[in-house]
Amino acid sequence: MAEVRIKAVSKIFGDVKAVNAFDTVVKDGEFVSILGPSGCGKTTMLRMIAGFERPSLGEIWIGDELVSSAESGVFLAPEKRSIGMVFQSYAVWPHMNVFQNVAYPLTIKNLNKEEIARRTNRVLGLVHLDGYAERFPNQLSGGQQQRVALARALVCEPRLLLLDEPLSNLDAKLRESMRFEIKELQRKLNITVIYVTHDQSEAMAMSDRIVVMHQGVVQQIASPVDVYETPANETVADFIGLVNFVPAELTADEVIFPSLGHAVKRDNACRGRARVGIRPENIALSKTETGLQGTIVHKFYMGDATDCRVAVGTETLRVIAKGDGFREYQDGDAVWLRLDKMIVFPVGDKA
Amino acid sequence: MNGQTFFSRFDTKWLVIACAVTVLVLFTALPMLYLIYRSVVVEGSVNLENYRVVYSNAVNFRAFVNTFKVSLLVTGLSVLITFPLAWLVGRTNLPGKGFFRTLFVATYMIPPYVGAIAWIQLLNPSVGYVNTFLMAVFGLTQAPFNIYSMGGMIWCMTLFYSPFAFITISRAMEKMDPSLEEASRIAGASPLKTLVRVTLPLMLPSVIAGGVLVFINAGSSFGIPAIVGMPAQIEVLTTRIVTYVYMGTGKGIREATALAVILMVVANGLLYASTFLLGKKEYVTIGGKSMRPNLVDLGRWKWPVTALVAAYGFVSVFLPLGSILVTSMLKSMSRPVSFDNLTFSTWKTVVNNTGYMDCLGTSFFAATVTATVATVVALFIAYLAVKTRTKGRAVPDSLATLGGATPSIVIALALIITFSGEFGLNLYSTVAILVVSYLVKYLTMSVRTISASLTQVHVSLEEAALSSGASWLRAMKDIVLPLVSPSIIAGWFLVFMPSFYELTMSILLYGSKTKTIGVLLYEMQTYADPQDASVLAIVILLIVLGGNLLLRKLSRGSVGI
Ligand SMILES: Nc1ncnc2c1ncn2[C@@H]1O[C@H](COP(=O)(O)OP(=O)(O)O)[C@@H](O)[C@H]1O
Ligand SMILES: [Mg+2]
Repeated sequence: MAEVRIKAVSKIFGDVKAVNAFDTVVKDGEFVSILGPSGCGKTTMLRMIAGFERPSLGEIWIGDELVSSAESGVFLAPEKRSIGMVFQSYAVWPHMNVFQNVAYPLTIKNLNKEEIARRTNRVLGLVHLDGYAERFPNQLSGGQQQRVALARALVCEPRLLLLDEPLSNLDAKLRESMRFEIKELQRKLNITVIYVTHDQSEAMAMSDRIVVMHQGVVQQIASPVDVYETPANETVADFIGLVNFVPAELTADEVIFPSLGHAVKRDNACRGRARVGIRPENIALSKTETGLQGTIVHKFYMGDATDCRVAVGTETLRVIAKGDGFREYQDGDAVWLRLDKMIVFPVGDKA
Repeated sequence: MNGQTFFSRFDTKWLVIACAVTVLVLFTALPMLYLIYRSVVVEGSVNLENYRVVYSNAVNFRAFVNTFKVSLLVTGLSVLITFPLAWLVGRTNLPGKGFFRTLFVATYMIPPYVGAIAWIQLLNPSVGYVNTFLMAVFGLTQAPFNIYSMGGMIWCMTLFYSPFAFITISRAMEKMDPSLEEASRIAGASPLKTLVRVTLPLMLPSVIAGGVLVFINAGSSFGIPAIVGMPAQIEVLTTRIVTYVYMGTGKGIREATALAVILMVVANGLLYASTFLLGKKEYVTIGGKSMRPNLVDLGRWKWPVTALVAAYGFVSVFLPLGSILVTSMLKSMSRPVSFDNLTFSTWKTVVNNTGYMDCLGTSFFAATVTATVATVVALFIAYLAVKTRTKGRAVPDSLATLGGATPSIVIALALIITFSGEFGLNLYSTVAILVVSYLVKYLTMSVRTISASLTQVHVSLEEAALSSGASWLRAMKDIVLPLVSPSIIAGWFLVFMPSFYELTMSILLYGSKTKTIGVLLYEMQTYADPQDASVLAIVILLIVLGGNLLLRKLSRGSVGI
């Protein structure tokens, strides 16, 4: 168990700034996800923590040990960091069976046979692989290989567990159940976890906090609720969940949408031009003539909801109506909208 | 699609199979079977007396033992040298590794007999450049090295056959998912422990595969033992076979078959066993999305290791090439190397020698015909094997592989006994028999290249053309051919180049009017005309180098030796 302190870490490859001034503290026992689109620098950050890349700037502490520092040249080799890591490709060694794979970190420590067997079997039980010890990786499914990788990462009871998109090669059903298993394991073992993913629902479901990255730059570090409900900027709002952006004009007590021909009462801290994000599920649809009028352009029946494109003024808004109230609606039908919740991003900072 | 086109497609397919199989059976299966037959059947009945006579001859038996001894040592040395090289080039932050990689792979293009000629210039006991240099520097009274020895043979073969191991091992190193090594590091293992416990075992199959290739090539090698070993009365199986065939008697030929059959069985058997065993053990490594090799930092070893690798590169490539170049330009071989002892006069006489140019022409013509025929045949064979579900689709492919795996000397002998009128076809000392032999030996190169790229062309691409209304032939022409064209070009060159400088088969099959450049060079070396030989060696190297550069350009960098 350990706190991880990342202090203004940057990584530059040639002229690509893969990670730019990453700065955060991951608390002891915390589950933190690094979330962002492919190529935004998540893996690079994780590999710097693991010791596979050296930071170009900044320093990394694990517990009270300085493991990497660009400025003072301190660098602890990966094998000396006592970290568990699960790789995206699993990296299960094909020439060793399950037991040998999982026991490997213990054999490196030259523990005695009985202890190795005891601890290996215990971890295999933990990841539900009892009875698979003698199998070779090519006799295992993807999900089972995943568990081997997880067991191998946990067998030494590491102070920190790093996972790089561990579920992205699994099918959808398995992916969902593995989320809960990993979360359960973390609770049971009470370890610090840093989890890299590009899948926002994965990050939302598992994390205590999420670090949202974009093009090497950290956009926001916050709990899943905060990231979703009060995104720090348009990039975060756009990446996490769905959102309609509408230009607006802010006054002291109103948000005016010229393109919708509509205004909503709201106390504003800022004045002037703004872009307002409205999530599709935060627009209430109604059949009775009240509020803002629109026309259904397209309607997709989703089972538990109806996903509509509604033309309002000169905009087309995406609206998700939960339940089956709008199932029977046809394209071209008139509907009325109420904007419930909005996220305001002032354009230029005029307080 | 109507019944008519389906039927004609079906017909074409069978016609193609029939042609490919006929060519291969006639020129590959038949001669080899006949070779075995001739070695065991004496006057109509099976009789192993021939083998007893041949192997109880002390010279032959010694040749047999030498062949194994040399091949084993060359294999061991090659693996010991190339494994660390492949690891350094593929997995560490060795400076200039791209250059080193190209350099070690490129040695593969140098004909082994050219290497032997170069090393004789460097290490012969009387006037070898290295010997005289060392004697002068250290005041020695005796030459420290003698190339005409078992050690000299092993040295040359290791330098010129180890690229087979290097290519196989470094390819596997590059294909390996780097996180397999990283997982070991994070589990607490040092780089060295990781190398021993993870990298080495994972590489073992390719080390074995590469080793087998080196072993077979060393065992079937003729140029090096003939040029370096024979002057010291060191014989191997291939040189014995050539000696027997040159006797020109029926008895000589029969005894040669007994030696050849052993060579053929061992080579094919080993290759088959290694593919079979390793095929099962092939470790499928799932590549992650970003397969960026994590390079091992050599730290303070970086520069000493680089110096060592550079020294090896210098000794294995630049030293021999430099020696040939210098020799080709010396005014007088008996005077030391200096600027006023250099001239282009040898070059002028060689280029103006019509006899020499005729040989170059013969090789060029034979290699061009071979490469072109091979490409057409390979296209059909590859399409058959990869894209159809026809029964027996893999048979032509396996026959081509068989030809490629069989030692050249064996192919030549089998063709001699089969096509000297025995079956109504007499090709002896024609260009045709040269072409046939090259085809048998090198067809597999183009088949493999084209199959590999055909496998990449997903059926749906072809089906999309068919469903757009194109006929099968039209779909081939518009979709499949353009997509595989780089590999067709590559395959052409991969057949052309070894055919062009081929020696081992040509030495048994050439006629007075069809002498090839390889044979010419060999004769010059053995009849001591090292300067003309050096000029021609450089001409060959330039043509091969030019071909390779062209190949890289035409195949858009995807292929090149
Ligand atoms: N070893 C490297 N050399 C050069 N560029 C790299 C290297 N590793 C990563 N990059 C670049 O850094 C950026 C971030 O990559 P990565 O961390 O793998 O992204 P992610 O894991 O978020 O998909 C990408 O633009 C990638 O091309
Ligand atoms: Mg990544």
